[in-house]
Amino acid sequence: MAPTVAAGHTMSPPKNPDAATGDDGMLDRPQSAPAAPLAKSAFRDIRDGFLRPDVWGRLGWLEIKRRYRRTTIGPFWNVISLAVFVATVGTVGAGLWDQNAREYLPYLTSGMLVWLMISASANESCVLFIANSHLFRNGAFDFSMLAYALVWRNFIVMLHHLVVYVVLVAVLAPGLVTSATLLVFPGLALLMINGVWVSLLLGMFCLRFRDVQQLVASLIQISLFMTPVFWPADQLQAGTARSLFVHYNPLYHAVQVVRAPLLGEVPAAESYFAVIAMAVAGCAVTAWVFSRFRKRLAYWI
Amino acid sequence: MTALILEDVHVEFPIYAAQRSFRKALFARATGGRVERGGGRHRVAVKALTGVSITLAEGDRLGLVGHNGAGKSTLLRVMAGVYEPVIGRVLASGKITSCFDLLPGLDLEDSGYENIVTAGLLFGMSHPEIERRIPEIEEFSELGEYLALPVRTYSSGMLVRLGFALATSVDPGILLLDEGIGAGDARFADRANRRLQSLVDRSRILVLASHSDDLIRAWCNRAALLEAGQVVEIGPVDDVLAAYHARNQARVGQG
Repeated sequence: MAPTVAAGHTMSPPKNPDAATGDDGMLDRPQSAPAAPLAKSAFRDIRDGFLRPDVWGRLGWLEIKRRYRRTTIGPFWNVISLAVFVATVGTVGAGLWDQNAREYLPYLTSGMLVWLMISASANESCVLFIANSHLFRNGAFDFSMLAYALVWRNFIVMLHHLVVYVVLVAVLAPGLVTSATLLVFPGLALLMINGVWVSLLLGMFCLRFRDVQQLVASLIQISLFMTPVFWPADQLQAGTARSLFVHYNPLYHAVQVVRAPLLGEVPAAESYFAVIAMAVAGCAVTAWVFSRFRKRLAYWI
Repeated sequence: MTALILEDVHVEFPIYAAQRSFRKALFARATGGRVERGGGRHRVAVKALTGVSITLAEGDRLGLVGHNGAGKSTLLRVMAGVYEPVIGRVLASGKITSCFDLLPGLDLEDSGYENIVTAGLLFGMSHPEIERRIPEIEEFSELGEYLALPVRTYSSGMLVRLGFALATSVDPGILLLDEGIGAGDARFADRANRRLQSLVDRSRILVLASHSDDLIRAWCNRAALLEAGQVVEIGPVDDVLAAYHARNQARVGQG
């Protein structure tokens, strides 16, 4: 075993003059210092965390690097797997739903790249605090940084997936790029705001109740089939009970605010309304839960 | 003015192993919650600290003594802000530097340099601050070319040197040390001691948990004796150490 400093005998007495006097105010020393409580409010956590993009940016980036370390093509595995997925499922799907490949492939690709961002974020949210617990065992920590790192990381992954879309559209349907395509940016911003509260809330929930992670994983898997990603939304006739899976499905609207612009369309107002309402309600609930349980997170590990 | 004040701090760790699951919590709610079994069901919790009040001002060097499990490490972590007290509060003025984990965010596949940046950021430094410290860390750790290689190629001693060089390069305000910051081989140990000494000298307040009387005597001007999560003695180092040993003797006598 390595010798520890504790075993050393070369220590000299403290050089600090205050310390050397060995005064003994002890327990009831008058409190002259304007000391602030160490405990942090949820609000300050969320704000201070956001103001450290150097930290969460790096945490998010490192995670991507770790995933593809020592692979030759690294993150382009993302691109390849989505490309293969689109090529195969796209062929089958175009036949199944009697679609024109020129329309169906961009639809499937743009839907999948949003879906992959949403589902990966949700699944990773479940281990947000569990997997990063080593980071907050050393001192006070802004937990929100982990949420920002997660959203940032999944945004980077989405950019990789976007390559498939760009190539596909350039080859098959350049006409899809219109001025409405610019609406991709507010759409992504809305998804990322939702991503922050979802990851904090799910992260807290899964930390305390370890079963929730399994629940979320299976729900996400099922929702892929219940949400119009593979199949066009208009295949479910409006007015029937089944169209509930479209209009009352928050995931459909979340996909739609990014997918519609990618297909050169303006998303429906109801989609924006749904996503903004989710952001407002979700942030409010998360703010409440976070301010109530933030200080318990370290104990739940 | 640097200060660290603990007011009636209580810490207890809930044990969830038995009832961590969602189903049980859900079930408790569904059945009206809090079914009293045999006159009151209490959640299992380990009381780690009970009613700890300590006031530290600039120049204070407090040594924490006590048996394993007396609460020394928990107390340090409460001071660091890892755990917020269940009851009571901790007030601080000044930056708190805790060296429990020398390389937070360590990634074995990353190079030494990359790990310095990650750990430095997690210690609360900015990129420029870290850059400024790199030459000093390079010199002290003596890792040379190795710093550009993945950390997994390091021996355990080299990893300790890297972490030690980084952790001791910080500007400590309130410095919290848990004993046993490793120092690598014997030749390194000597330099490490001097470097740690300089870190301690730069700090405004020191709290050191240690089992070594020599270390506590050398570095501290006050000491606190912890027993079962309570401060049973606090005062001049020699008095507290004497009390500690007297209690040990009494315990041995009883046994």
